[in-house]
Amino acid sequence: MMRVLGGVALAVFILLPLVQAVLLSFTVTLEKDGVAAGAVGLMNYADVLAAPELRAAMVNSAVYVCLNVALCIGVGLPAAYALARFRFLGDRHFLLAMLVFRMTPPVVLSLPIFILFSKLGLVNSPLGIALVHCLFNLPITIWILESFIRAVPSAFDETAFIDGHSGPSFFFRHLVPMIAPGIGVAAFFCFIFSWVEVVFARILTVTAGKPITMAINAMFTFQTDIGMVMAMTCLSLVPGVAMIWLVRNHLARGFTLRA
Amino acid sequence: MQSQSKWALILVLPACLLLAVIGLLPLLAVVNYGFHDIFSLSDVHWVGFDWFADILGSDRFLASLGRSLLFSALTLAIQLPLGIAVALMLLSFGRFAIWGLMLCALPLVVPWNMIPMLWLGMIDTQSGLLGPGLAAVGFDYKFTALHTWALILVMDTWHWLGLVVILSYAGLSAIQPQYRQAAVIDGASRCAIFRHIELPRLSGALAIVILIRFVDSFMIYTEAFTINAGGPNDATRFLSLELGEEIKGFSYGQAAARATLYFLIVLAVTYVFVVVTRRQEDRP
Repeated sequence: MMRVLGGVALAVFILLPLVQAVLLSFTVTLEKDGVAAGAVGLMNYADVLAAPELRAAMVNSAVYVCLNVALCIGVGLPAAYALARFRFLGDRHFLLAMLVFRMTPPVVLSLPIFILFSKLGLVNSPLGIALVHCLFNLPITIWILESFIRAVPSAFDETAFIDGHSGPSFFFRHLVPMIAPGIGVAAFFCFIFSWVEVVFARILTVTAGKPITMAINAMFTFQTDIGMVMAMTCLSLVPGVAMIWLVRNHLARGFTLRA
Repeated sequence: MQSQSKWALILVLPACLLLAVIGLLPLLAVVNYGFHDIFSLSDVHWVGFDWFADILGSDRFLASLGRSLLFSALTLAIQLPLGIAVALMLLSFGRFAIWGLMLCALPLVVPWNMIPMLWLGMIDTQSGLLGPGLAAVGFDYKFTALHTWALILVMDTWHWLGLVVILSYAGLSAIQPQYRQAAVIDGASRCAIFRHIELPRLSGALAIVILIRFVDSFMIYTEAFTINAGGPNDATRFLSLELGEEIKGFSYGQAAARATLYFLIVLAVTYVFVVVTRRQEDRP
């Protein structure tokens, strides 16, 4: 009985703010085009999808998040393999350095990152945001992948090499399928931390390339159409919810501190 | 061994290069700016430790530091036990646990700038689901400091509880059932099982949670600023809000010095934490 009550309390606590958003997103809150305020329907969603700047924002967000996930996995996987399998000079320091970068607050670095990226021509481009989000996502990727690779017995590698597989062929044809859930979980965490991040996304998009978060901010004006804002917010949750669904069976793995 | 080490370094190299460019380089730049007075990028003067002395000597800084530390302490004190409790509860749900985990992960995918919007919408006195009820009992987050604090804490818990739950659940579900069965047969109480079997195996996951939650709550910006912009009467003026003000006021030298100080605080806490956890691990 206690368990049921606890479960219900948890569900109410988590869902209540979202229920409010979903309800509002289906309600017309600002009278326009002859539709009175208070009408219920898909009008807000139609308005969001009809606005070119909002559509562009969704594309921008999707592009830089995908780039970021690809970068983190591509760079993180070899590093995680090295940390899981080899003892080398400075391996413990490397993990500690990772930790420090994850712990560095984005506000602290926002100013020099902006100056550096404007010199490199990476301001207003999705690549710039994708790169800078590696700052906190790459350490997380390496942690998760390292713990998944460590769970594979090293005899597995040795057998593959004895069977005559070269390094790259072993990597892609044996190791990657073996730790696919780990890659999924790492991608999930990169995705969510990159998708929802605001500080870097704001300073690196001055005139163009605005992501969803900034597009929503720009919707707050003198007369805010709150129903439309909520419709945009609900749409921005869709990819995240899809990611949660994809990795649901592997969500609870990875992450141990070995610094 | 020699060739192994060489391979390892080649594999780690891309990650190191990337972090050097986007992490180390800007960090050094910030420290350097902190020693200068910057009007524009072409008009820069060396001022030595002036900014640091100014900031460290001001009462406002110390007050903000106290508030941020208190906020982090409260966040951890609420979210850790609650998260572990929820994880234990989910564990007892068996195969339905996965639904609970997905539910808890939901707030993690909400854009950060929308989280305060969702909560402000919910407690809006006219249209909010909870607003009229809260207004009836005298809840007023705009002008009562205690209520602002409560709102930000509840909101932060809503946002981040999922992370604590997921990682605690990961640690708990890795414990082999034999351990618990053996303890039950020996007549151990639920508390004893938690204290001597579950907690020690959770420590690795918890270490990560504590560090991540400490830093993120210590540097809370977007959520806290949107709720009440540091008010009422500076009661929720956290460290990051002061930094944000200076950046917006184009006082870059001072902002950089402040950023350096914040980084040093975070670094010190991380270092102490890692040393302590290592000592615990090394203990036989």
